[in-house]
Amino acid sequence: MNNIKAIDDYLSGGMPTGDALLFEANVLLNGDLRDNMQHQQNTYAIIRQYSRQRIKGEIASVQKILTTAPQHRGFMLRIANLFKK
Amino acid sequence: MNTNRLSTVELREAFFMALYKKVFPSFAHYVARMGGSQEAAQDIFQDTLVIYYEKVTSAQAEIIVSEKAYLLGIAKRLWLQHYKIDSKNQPLNDFDVEIVPEEQLATNKILHYLETAGKKCMELLKAYYYDHLSGVEVSELFGYSSIHSATVAKYKCLEKVRETIKQKSLNYADFIE
Repeated sequence: MNNIKAIDDYLSGGMPTGDALLFEANVLLNGDLRDNMQHQQNTYAIIRQYSRQRIKGEIASVQKILTTAPQHRGFMLRIANLFKK
Repeated sequence: MNTNRLSTVELREAFFMALYKKVFPSFAHYVARMGGSQEAAQDIFQDTLVIYYEKVTSAQAEIIVSEKAYLLGIAKRLWLQHYKIDSKNQPLNDFDVEIVPEEQLATNKILHYLETAGKKCMELLKAYYYDHLSGVEVSELFGYSSIHSATVAKYKCLEKVRETIKQKSLNYADFIE
């Protein structure tokens, strides 16, 4: 699968030392592999950004529940009182 | 921490709600004393919860003795970083919130494209690489018949997203307008 798993194993540190050395040698010799590794690193970065946005969205939903649901009114009033001058 | 309790949206909602109730009043009190607004306190606390979530679900999760003290520590440092001029000497490297150069590639447009064209894949990859769920948890959550099937799907998705990024990168100037 286009070295997907090998790159994944290598970048996650899950590759045995001997295999990792061989892999590094291949990266030096093989431009396509080098490019794929760079794109895969970018892929992980994008997965992280996507995931952070999703988690932030979930947290924002919790904030919304706190500010709108009647059962949390007392809690939010206590918070609001802290900011009254 | 047992991350099983954070494998679904509902479980995470309960987790974040509990942390809000437990820690936010103390942080809000601190921000109010420092002259900040409730909105600012909420924004900072939101980032704090993201950092904490990443910490407790990470593959190298540390043992956190006092959840409340830990969260307050992060929140106060974020507050200082954002709102105090003299906080320049307190980098937050240990919290890993800086955007790495590779992430600059991840423009909103690429993310938007992946959200619409490959949402299922992104959710699967999130479960593996961000939430750090086990193969069993991912299989159950996404309805795969075995861990092997889920793993195969993971690599297929990884390849699909990688190819998308590769193509978009080749036409990057066009892609970002």
